[in-house]
Amino acid sequence: MTDARSEKTVTWTILVVRTGGFAGLRREWRVSSRDDPAVDWPALIEACPWTTRYPPSRSNDRFVWRIEASAPPRTKKATLPESSLTGSWAALVEQVKSAAAR
Amino acid sequence: MVYGIVPPYLLARIAELDDEKFAHAARSARRALEQAAPMRAARLLFSLDESNNLVVEVGDGPNRTISDAANSETLPGMEVRREGEEPTGDPAADEAYDGLGATFALFSEVYKRNSINGAGLPLDATVHYGEDYDNAFWDGERMVFGDGDGEIFRRFTISVSVIGHELTHGVTQYTAALEYQGQSGALNESVSDVFGALVEQYTLDQTTAEASWLIGEGLFTDEVEGTALRSMKAPGTAYDDDVLGKDPQPAHLDDYIETDDDNGGVHLNSGIPNRAFYLVAEALGGNAWERAGQIWYDTLAGPLGEKSTFAEFATATIEAAAARYGGSSRETDAVRAGWTGVGVTPEDIA
Repeated sequence: MTDARSEKTVTWTILVVRTGGFAGLRREWRVSSRDDPAVDWPALIEACPWTTRYPPSRSNDRFVWRIEASAPPRTKKATLPESSLTGSWAALVEQVKSAAAR
Repeated sequence: MVYGIVPPYLLARIAELDDEKFAHAARSARRALEQAAPMRAARLLFSLDESNNLVVEVGDGPNRTISDAANSETLPGMEVRREGEEPTGDPAADEAYDGLGATFALFSEVYKRNSINGAGLPLDATVHYGEDYDNAFWDGERMVFGDGDGEIFRRFTISVSVIGHELTHGVTQYTAALEYQGQSGALNESVSDVFGALVEQYTLDQTTAEASWLIGEGLFTDEVEGTALRSMKAPGTAYDDDVLGKDPQPAHLDDYIETDDDNGGVHLNSGIPNRAFYLVAEALGGNAWERAGQIWYDTLAGPLGEKSTFAEFATATIEAAAARYGGSSRETDAVRAGWTGVGVTPEDIA
């Protein structure tokens, strides 16, 4: 059992991979929670619905997002269509892209 | 024969012509106006008969509406150009309008298909989707085009092959409905590349030998070392850039990419059937939209399973070629050789 304070000291590695799209180009962003300690990474990660299974998209040529967060021995993985990249997922991905760009 | 898309206001003027020389044209225009929904254009086919009389035949016409998302991700956005209206002056909106018309023309004039669903479905598109959005997609109802980021990608309407590609996803949705996953997904992508390329070739009146066989030519900015997103003639050679890396498309089944990304690599493995189509077109020569394109269209519109594999699709193309041109025809031989050339062995045909 970890309390909120000790949870914040855990180091998470977050990988975001965008594939598909008309161009079929692969883009990848990777950060460690230590890269930007001001961000509450555990809260961002916990807010995401990791166990949700998304139905196949009716769309063609939209992006596919694969998101992985790991803090061994814990690993969370999700694959979602672009149309589902909203709310907590969008918040996490934007933060990862922003931190990775620094 | 000359083809032209005649806007409603011009149809109305032709319909009112009171000169015996144009009696046939006036009748055709009146019939088009009676048949067409309000604001829909008709396609009139103009020719001269042996006595030098003007002969006008009524054909199907597109019903296009272009909307502008104003860099939001809200669809459809605000309507900026409807069928028959003058150009807006916005290159993206006007390229989308013209590209939809070019794609409609290929399917209508060559394959006698009236729009996406074969029954005159309106063609809707949205431009300026999102901010710096590096993509174009078909959402099941409309085509959506981003502006690109200006650093790697230009606007996605810049290449008519992209517009043809997206609209063909609609045609596939209403015909074979190839599942967008794995090999059937790669076939779905390939069929869109095939007809996207054919729209460009038909528009430019290019033979197989003259055509670039590139998908998305002109999309990359000058900063990128590459000519296009994909090459049907030589998959894997469209770009080789410090930032983007090398075009990863395989050209042969031996190099098929197994991956969970991109719905099982649908934009990667499409290189294999793309190359097969190119080989068929190259073997037959002339205009690719005629025989090679007709065989692929017959296959798409025929009894093809939603989960078709490359081998099953190959078999279907051979059967389509045999049905139209004969089992021992040059066309059927070319199709067999095309698939052999990319390592795909068609299933036994009864």
